[in-house]
Amino acid sequence: MLVLSRKPGEGLLIGDDITVKIIEIKGGGIRIGIEAPAHMKIYREEVYDRIRKENISAATNWNMNDLDVLSGNLEHRTTKK
Amino acid sequence: MKKTITTRFGEVEYSPDNILTFPEGLVGLPALHSFIVMPNTKKGPLFWIQSVDDPLMAFILTDPTDFFLDYNVIPDEKERKLLGIDSTEQSVILSIVTVSETREITLNLAAPIIFAPTTSRAIQVILEDSPYSTKTKLPEIAASQK
Repeated sequence: MLVLSRKPGEGLLIGDDITVKIIEIKGGGIRIGIEAPAHMKIYREEVYDRIRKENISAATNWNMNDLDVLSGNLEHRTTKK
Repeated sequence: MKKTITTRFGEVEYSPDNILTFPEGLVGLPALHSFIVMPNTKKGPLFWIQSVDDPLMAFILTDPTDFFLDYNVIPDEKERKLLGIDSTEQSVILSIVTVSETREITLNLAAPIIFAPTTSRAIQVILEDSPYSTKTKLPEIAASQK
């Protein structure tokens, strides 16, 4: 990993179109400003990781029997239809 | 022409012109673009989609508004562009269902799927500043309904 030292007000560029700026350091946290093209998605790392893990476990931890039983159990739960 | 893939549930036959497309894949799984929507064999609110790109990956989905009446996610302009729809076209919210080891289910309300029926495209979005959890339990129901 590339490690750089920056002060509040300083920034850095990633490629030609992403700018990361250190806004301020406050109470152990660092506020960061990011300018990037609209199609670039920016997530907090722990949020992204949590969703990725949830997706993987949702995709792999079930079988057809689970689906049949669960769906049958929920039949009366639906509020519509 | 029909095609078949071998999934962890056995062989699945599908028609390549009847595919649900995630232009950007799912969160953390960007290579999963094409899914087969499987017909429901049982009654009830759950259905499933099978990845064509990775035969081991299949998701159970449900309409979260069946359980959470005030839950709604409206795609913004950027998201509509990915879905290939304009602001007048309808989109549908779906939740990925996770089955726990004890066979209880939770809904991922923090990262719903927005589906556009007119284009058969879907995206998964992250609701970062929302109170919703990736593991939201179904609301309790009154004992008399059980």
